[in-house]
Amino acid sequence: MASITASLSRTAGWVVIVVWFIVRIGAVRAEGSQLELAVKATYLYKLAPFVEWPNPAAEFPGNVFPICIAGRDPFGAVLDRAVSGQSVAGHPIVVRRYQVITGNPGCAVVYITGSDTEPAAVILAALHAAPVLTVTDQDFDPKVKGIINFVVRDNRVRFQIDEATAAEDGLTISSKLLSLAVSVRQRPPSATAPR
Amino acid sequence: MPRLWRLTPIIALAIALILLVAGMGLAFYIDRSNENRTTAEVTVQARILASTVTAALVFNDHDAAQEYVSAMQANPEVQQAAVYDSAGRLFAGWSRDGQSPLPATEHPHAPRLDHGHLIVSSPVAQENLMIGTVYLESVTEALGRRIQRYGAIALLVIMAVLLVGVLWIAQRALTRANVALADRARQLAAANESLLAEIEQREQIEAALRQAQKMEAIGQLTGGVAHDFNNLLQVILGNLERLQRRFRDSDLGADASRLIASAARGAERAAILTQRLLAFSRRQPLAPKPLEINKLVAGLSDLIGRTLGESVQLQTVLAGGLWRALADANQLESALLNLAVNARDAMPSGGKLTIETANAHLDEAYARTESDEVKAGQYVLIQVTDTGTGMGPDVLAKVFEPFFTTKDIGQGTGLGLSQVYGFAKQSGGHVKIYSEVGVGTTVKLYLPRATVIDSPLRDHSDDGQVPGGNSREMILVVEDQDDVRAFTSETLRDLGYSVSEAADGPAALHTLEHESRIRLLFTDIGLPGGINGRQLADQARRRYPELLVLFTTGYARNAIVHHGRLDPGVELIGKPFTQTELALRIREIFDRAVGANWAPG
Repeated sequence: MASITASLSRTAGWVVIVVWFIVRIGAVRAEGSQLELAVKATYLYKLAPFVEWPNPAAEFPGNVFPICIAGRDPFGAVLDRAVSGQSVAGHPIVVRRYQVITGNPGCAVVYITGSDTEPAAVILAALHAAPVLTVTDQDFDPKVKGIINFVVRDNRVRFQIDEATAAEDGLTISSKLLSLAVSVRQRPPSATAPR
Repeated sequence: MPRLWRLTPIIALAIALILLVAGMGLAFYIDRSNENRTTAEVTVQARILASTVTAALVFNDHDAAQEYVSAMQANPEVQQAAVYDSAGRLFAGWSRDGQSPLPATEHPHAPRLDHGHLIVSSPVAQENLMIGTVYLESVTEALGRRIQRYGAIALLVIMAVLLVGVLWIAQRALTRANVALADRARQLAAANESLLAEIEQREQIEAALRQAQKMEAIGQLTGGVAHDFNNLLQVILGNLERLQRRFRDSDLGADASRLIASAARGAERAAILTQRLLAFSRRQPLAPKPLEINKLVAGLSDLIGRTLGESVQLQTVLAGGLWRALADANQLESALLNLAVNARDAMPSGGKLTIETANAHLDEAYARTESDEVKAGQYVLIQVTDTGTGMGPDVLAKVFEPFFTTKDIGQGTGLGLSQVYGFAKQSGGHVKIYSEVGVGTTVKLYLPRATVIDSPLRDHSDDGQVPGGNSREMILVVEDQDDVRAFTSETLRDLGYSVSEAADGPAALHTLEHESRIRLLFTDIGLPGGINGRQLADQARRRYPELLVLFTTGYARNAIVHHGRLDPGVELIGKPFTQTELALRIREIFDRAVGANWAPG
């Protein structure tokens, strides 16, 4: 019996250790996610100066720069804190959250996470051809890629850029930004050729 | 303009200095502007870098930022480059080897120079927001480029300075050439002046020459006249003499003898006059003979007195025991007359002329001090002193030069004193002139003492005893003038000689061929028929070497006279001659020939 108790206690000890480790790892993971989110939140508005919208005055009424989240919101207050007091070209940044999107609701940047009711791919498709900087996140759906697609490389948040789609949507992305991208899907040559 | 020329070196130097300063100024200016340009360039590069690294800074991409910053290494002038974030912390950067490490923190500031390196800190801004700082450190200029530029400037400046130097040297050469040219011009002016003076002098000389030629013409004329006169006087005198001899022997009375003597004296005076004319015309050959100077001066004083005129008093101081001088009497007379004429002209308002004679001895010391060649020895001094205007040293120096005269054209030949000088030299004597302005002039004429004792016996004292000849001594008389020939022949016959006659040279030669007894040829020099007396004598002597010759002439032409002296060995008796003179002369010649023939034996 004693041996049973001993083995039980030994087993319990291992479990405790394993659980501790699991909990610990989760905490670390949660901490990493929190940092990642904060970075991504700042990226959302930091991207704006490197992107040119075809007609910002018409697209963003009310003299604001709207950053929208389509689907599940991973940021919460983090994003609101990050953008508070920030502006793009003199326009204060506002954050709008949408569960469902059926066409462009007047956003400059849309961070597409998707939801069960409307997956990211659907949202992306809905925004196709609209002058909106679509941002996707590998963390949510690796298959769906917007114009900007956040990836993590070497423990750092980086991004891929789909310049071709941006061009189709009437957006121009600064080469400075392109140079920072992990990868760029370039515009077809005909589109780059000067008229 | 010459003032400007003189200033040129200073101007050239000033230009060279200005060029140097300008070159330095230009170098400085270029340096400054280059610095500014470099600053601008580096600032622009910093701004470009700033604008390119914005995204990297924004997205905190060190790698991308480092990539951009490293791109600056392509510019060799950039020594350090870095990007700092908004807090001033080093974000990315690099530094070339040997450079000090990058500053830990950096904020934007104005460009500054630090140890020759230009440091530019440019802000990285986005949306008017400072998000970082770009830091660039660059050399202001590569050393090679700087050397190149300064080399070019230095080359230009050196070229300019050289150019100025060359210009200066050229100007100096030009100035020197100008000076040389001015010198040449001065020399030319001087040469022209001397040429003008020479022309003037030549004109004077030509005038004097014309005067001399006129005098020469007059001399020739008078010489010719005197010659004819001599022939006539020869006849008159000769015949008078013969008459006198005849009357002396007869008893026609003293009355006739006195008349003849009177006529003879008149004729003799006429003969003397012709002698003077001949002396003037200088056609008298120079035949130095021992002379009694006192006698000559006394004889001449009458003529000199007349020459001087009444306002000038003549005084003669004749020394006793005076030696005899060896000189030509006629020339001496000419010299004395010339001196008298000069003295008279020097005393226009009257005065006194003194002629002194003395024995003199010129010693070696005196001979050495004289520029002329003077032999030390014994001389007879004739000193002519006037109380005239005198001459200054400059005139005195030239007074013996031929054609030199202070008299107006036509007044004198300029040959007077030169004749005196020439005569003195010709006679082996010496002449010295002393003069003082306002006091007078003294001319000392030294004639050599006659050392050969000339037998005074030959001096014909008129004792009527003349040496005669004999009939074996035959004389050929050659004379174109019948009267003279006849007189001469008669005279010689009277003296006891055998005489043959000929009128000209060919006749004489013919006679010589057929009459072998002829021992002496007595011929006039001036003969018609193509052969003159000299030529006749030469031809005759070639055939008959022992033939004796005696010439006679009214005046001597060059036939026997050279340089005013008789040729050696030539015997001459001047016309008119008396019977006595002729007798003595012929006897002397015969006797000397006999003596010479006998001497070797």
